[in-house]
Amino acid sequence: MNVLVVDDSQTMRTIQRRCLGALGIVNVAEGVDGAHAWQLFQTGSFDLILSDWNMPNMDGLTFLKHVRRVNRQVPFLMITTEAERARVVEAIQAGVTDYLVKPFTPEGLKAKLDKWVGVLS
Amino acid sequence: MLAVASRASVTTADYVNPVIRATRDVFEMMLGCTPKRVGLTLKTEDAPNPFAISAVIGITGRATGTIVFYVSESTALQALRRMTGTEASRVDEHVCDAVGELTNMIAGAAKAQLAELQLSISIPNVVHGDRHSVYFPSHVTPFRILFDSELGPFCIEVGFTALP
Repeated sequence: MNVLVVDDSQTMRTIQRRCLGALGIVNVAEGVDGAHAWQLFQTGSFDLILSDWNMPNMDGLTFLKHVRRVNRQVPFLMITTEAERARVVEAIQAGVTDYLVKPFTPEGLKAKLDKWVGVLS
Repeated sequence: MLAVASRASVTTADYVNPVIRATRDVFEMMLGCTPKRVGLTLKTEDAPNPFAISAVIGITGRATGTIVFYVSESTALQALRRMTGTEASRVDEHVCDAVGELTNMIAGAAKAQLAELQLSISIPNVVHGDRHSVYFPSHVTPFRILFDSELGPFCIEVGFTALP
């Protein structure tokens, strides 16, 4: 399984990479913003995408829309501080598959990722 | 409820409680500890800054303002270790990134409690150095919220102005 983790914070990318590793997922590519992630997505093959929303160069919502224009199936999880209902609706309308609000507990992150790793396995 | 010192502070006082709640949530969920608020004052210009690291986030929308998160080097190193398992021996870009991300989450969680204001938050800027100062716009009188925690003391300053 190949996973693309996208966040401008290396701390966040490390937290998510460690959690994926604990679930047995080691093929993890890291995007530092939406533009970088879009480049990686176009040249790679990913089974799951975890993305922040607020990032420089290209935000997560725009990245999601780019992905959905060419791939409607790949699970896309938004992991973000954007918690307002209107923002969640906006992401759903753009094709997000699941949503996790920061801050999160380690157990919360694991449960969310475990669910999708299980679905895809 | 908080006592308000002056009319200039009325708007800022409305935002302090969401920031306090957000800070507790972030520390509990991301760092596994519950911080205790130990002080709440209005910031004065001559108040010394004992913390070596500060992260600054700007906020815009139907109110504009700034949130600043101050921590010591020791607290920042411990925060990085708790969040990522990484042991750093000195403050570097990874430590500063961790501080910035904590600030991002505090501001984001506070923003969610103020949804009617349709706020947006900036990407955090992190400053590292002894005896540095962070200045707010002259028309803003920020609150200074002091906390203590397992990781050490820290401080959050928050100052807002509602748009007419």
